[in-house]
Amino acid sequence: MRHQGGFIQRILQTFNGHGGWLSGLVLAAGVFALPSLGFAAEGAATGPVEYRDIPGIGSRNIVWVIAQLHLLLAGFVLGVPIFAWLCEIVGWKSGEKRYDKLAKEFTKLLTSSYATTALFGGILLFLLIGFYPKLMNYLTDIFFPSFVFYCILFLLETVTLYLYWYGWDAMQDGNKKTFHVFLGFLLNLFAFFIMIVPNSWATFQASPVVIAEGTDLQRAWAATWNPTWWPVNIHRLIANVVLGGYICGAYAGIRYLAARNTEERDHYDWMGYVGNFIGVFGLLPLPFAGYWLMREIYQYNQQMGITLMGGFLSWLFILQAMLIGVLFLGSNYYFWLGITHRIPGSENQYKKPIMTMLIILLLCLGVWMTPHSLVASLEEARKMGGTHHPLLGVFGVMSAKMTVANLMILVTFMSFIMYWRAGKHETATWAKVARSVMGAVLVLAGIAVIVLGVWGYFVPAIIRINYFSTSQVLIVLFVMLTITPLTALLLKSAKTTTEMVWGRMPPRAGYALVLNAVMVILLMTLMGYARSSSRVHWHIYGVMRDSSQYAFSPALGYAAAFMALNTFLFCMLVAFIFWVATMGDKGKAPTGSGKGELPRGAMPAMAGGSQSLDTKS
Amino acid sequence: MDEVVKLQLIGLSVVGTGIVILLLIRAQFARVIGFVAIVLGLFSLVALSVPQMASLPPAEEKFDIATVKTPTDMAAIGQKIFFSKGQCALCHSIGPSESARCPDLKGIGAKLSREFMFESLTQPQAYVYLDYRHEGLPKEYPARMPYINKNPIGLTKNEILSVIAFLQQMSGEPISVTPSELEVPGQAPAAPLKTAEAAPVAVAQAR
Repeated sequence: MRHQGGFIQRILQTFNGHGGWLSGLVLAAGVFALPSLGFAAEGAATGPVEYRDIPGIGSRNIVWVIAQLHLLLAGFVLGVPIFAWLCEIVGWKSGEKRYDKLAKEFTKLLTSSYATTALFGGILLFLLIGFYPKLMNYLTDIFFPSFVFYCILFLLETVTLYLYWYGWDAMQDGNKKTFHVFLGFLLNLFAFFIMIVPNSWATFQASPVVIAEGTDLQRAWAATWNPTWWPVNIHRLIANVVLGGYICGAYAGIRYLAARNTEERDHYDWMGYVGNFIGVFGLLPLPFAGYWLMREIYQYNQQMGITLMGGFLSWLFILQAMLIGVLFLGSNYYFWLGITHRIPGSENQYKKPIMTMLIILLLCLGVWMTPHSLVASLEEARKMGGTHHPLLGVFGVMSAKMTVANLMILVTFMSFIMYWRAGKHETATWAKVARSVMGAVLVLAGIAVIVLGVWGYFVPAIIRINYFSTSQVLIVLFVMLTITPLTALLLKSAKTTTEMVWGRMPPRAGYALVLNAVMVILLMTLMGYARSSSRVHWHIYGVMRDSSQYAFSPALGYAAAFMALNTFLFCMLVAFIFWVATMGDKGKAPTGSGKGELPRGAMPAMAGGSQSLDTKS
Repeated sequence: MDEVVKLQLIGLSVVGTGIVILLLIRAQFARVIGFVAIVLGLFSLVALSVPQMASLPPAEEKFDIATVKTPTDMAAIGQKIFFSKGQCALCHSIGPSESARCPDLKGIGAKLSREFMFESLTQPQAYVYLDYRHEGLPKEYPARMPYINKNPIGLTKNEILSVIAFLQQMSGEPISVTPSELEVPGQAPAAPLKTAEAAPVAVAQAR
């Protein structure tokens, strides 16, 4: 702030000799107000203003950028408390201080991002009221009761966050700690409601339920409980955890790359591992939630479903497949790097399984990215006998895509299990049986998923969607729910043969973490565009038509440029927030007490953590 | 210059900038920015390489009653509506198709009377063809034909009659709809609602 103040003072001083500081202020205000000269209002001559615009830039483009940044920040702010709280509980129950410290660091990042999220929310609200007065009037008329509820929730969340963050060190022992954990629960509870209330406004636009009669509360409730509300709630909840995890991972990755001593490298390597683990943990069930959402959309309105999956947005799902594929590859790659670099002597032992998993993932990605119909010239199409490739065409349908998506989830899950078991020797008497059972479950599940996928070609779509695809999902979930507890039990009595060594990952591991975060952010921007475009030329589907000059959805290329811009701006914003949040810690010299408390290589990342506060705990 | 070409050039320059940063700058944070620039630039370039389709609002077919002289004129308008505002081709095909999810409409004008077609468009649940009837629990994935005279499609009576004329003509049948049946604006009942101010839409799907 001192630098900024100096900069402003210098500007004012420049004007001192030419008419004083007042003229400087007037000039600055003029520059900032310049865009308002271009404001244009539609409908002003004939009645109430329906739309306002800024020619040249476009009201929709401005709203697009601000809404996307707000949504990404909100996703981060609502996702981080979930795993921060879980980390705190793990630390509380296990007595391991490093988890408590990590939870505190996560909360510090959350606290510093919270205000920025609210700021962008405020800007978005003003822009929406300014640019879309007619739509906002209508939404206010329906949702006013939930606006009030939302404000109350925000107050409660803010108070809880203050207590949770500032009371961290004061509430470390006995009942106070129990109360602090309870505060963490409340924080997540309010955060959940803060997420689902605006979700109802957004999902109402896509699948409106409007009742003409009843009290304000009844109308608001009917509009809130619309067909896509809960699928979006669940999908966003999981996606927020994924976003939060991968962003924390990317942060650790960057700090790892810039680390100047062994201690820092150890810290940020561990934090990167935790971030990637949280991201993958959320990523595995996310496609199931997405599938449920699409199913509900089809159930609500066939046209909307077809517009998304088979209409002008169909190519978007090829891009989605590419991004998810890279994300799966990036996450697995990080796991594999962890096995080969953190566990000495395991390079050769895991070479073959890693290569096999890589080949399976690449093959699956190839199938997932195969489009249903190809971009072909007339001559090419004639040779192929249509726009479907004679051989590869079979991979372009949903049956194949559902199958490979499930297989990729299975492979990633096995990567994680492999990492978990690496460097340990199971000593339980039933270890051999358990390993055989796990192997059999995995192989049988893989075969069942493939059989159902192939069989899906020969049954009507409704049977495939209702029974086959659902069975594939249930099979994969069964594998996870069987193998995870079995492995945990098995490793309880296992002997560690090789200690995991932190801080030895090559620089490309840091870049892999950054890549994963970028992929998740891009995916969120991509699917935001899909959700918005599925309403086609309606503000509220079937109820209020968009009659502005922007009543169209731009083509994918143009939209992708915006997605890339938004992703870049968000990354820079988050980097700035984290930099500011950790600025105060850098000046403080590390104290020796922390070293004695924690084993070397297992120290928590100190991102955002205050050393002086940490040493007290 | 074409918009796609402009965006491709921007994408290429972003990738190029990222590569230059990685080659020349040693500061880690700047290198990460360069890496992110390469990833985002490549993403944009891939997105620009797939078919570029914008979704435009359906063109409003203006019904100038005075210019519609014959049933064939009506069928010509109906054909445009079938493939645009009516969104019929989104689900239905004319002739066998791999991607069609709903009944093939080839020859439908010969199979069904115009009254039946009108009812199918405005009261789609009144009779459902056996192959498309939903079996099982009522909430389970119904393949539902929308009410064509209501939002979001909201065809007017004149537009529906024109679509019927097109379906009959396409099936090789004599067109039984005549221009005299068209409603003159101002004398006809109000057109389907377009905005919420006109009147709130009644219950959609209350749970």
